[in-house]
Amino acid sequence: MSFKFPTEEWTKAYQDAVNANEGYRTHGKPWTFGAVAFVIKADPSIGLPEDVGMIMDVHEGVCRGTTFVKGMDAVQSAPFIVVADYARWRACLEGKLDPIKSMMEGKLKLVKGHLPTMLRFVESSRQLVVSATHVDTEFLA
Amino acid sequence: MEPAIELAPGAEDHGFAPMLATLLRQNLDDHEDKRATAMRMRGRVAMVITDLGMSVTLEFVPFAVRVHAGIVGIPDVTVRAGSDHIMKMSMLELGRFGLPDPRGAVAKELAAAEKAGAIKYFGALANIPLMLRLTRVMSVNA
Repeated sequence: MSFKFPTEEWTKAYQDAVNANEGYRTHGKPWTFGAVAFVIKADPSIGLPEDVGMIMDVHEGVCRGTTFVKGMDAVQSAPFIVVADYARWRACLEGKLDPIKSMMEGKLKLVKGHLPTMLRFVESSRQLVVSATHVDTEFLA
Repeated sequence: MEPAIELAPGAEDHGFAPMLATLLRQNLDDHEDKRATAMRMRGRVAMVITDLGMSVTLEFVPFAVRVHAGIVGIPDVTVRAGSDHIMKMSMLELGRFGLPDPRGAVAKELAAAEKAGAIKYFGALANIPLMLRLTRVMSVNA
């Protein structure tokens, strides 16, 4: 079954994929720094009239829950917020973009959060991307 | 007293320069010893990220560290490496006195990469204190 990205259903399927990923369970085990929000910038040309976000409540290698929200204000509770446009997220979800390399290029932006902490979890971030590639995804564009 | 971390004009739109400035700022905020180290640093360090085709220059001046997009001025040290290795440098394990711990996994990986020619340092031998201090302020490890 495929899920439209980004939707609440996709977010739930992503949570399942993260929890099924042994690599994430291992590398994310020491993560106790709070939820991470992924924000997709609005792009009305592809039917995304406002920013949407997925808040992943990740803790000790497990994703305990997810919230699909609209607007930047709704993600501010997350200690870590990563923002990019739709095309970048798509490339990431398809495994064509490395998350850390993309941050170095400014394609993904950590707009909130402690970067040194994030860098200590490079492999864990990569495993989050690997998890996303396991979700059967239907893209908007 | 801590050095100001400044993005040089034009560096805001660069991919890596703002990230590096954030990394330095948060690292110095977290660690008093790294702040003291940064205050003692003078000179320019250029980083060329070969696979991304981009470069940055860190300029250490009294009371400030300026992050420039591209190579600006004449660097005292130039590091040329791929993005993976550049990021690994920020994960280098530190040992006694904040010096790199050669027994660490990242230290070994970087040493092997240097031996294989994947990382090149220019001017490092003539500026060992600058290099060691750079390692210390950039490392996300205590």
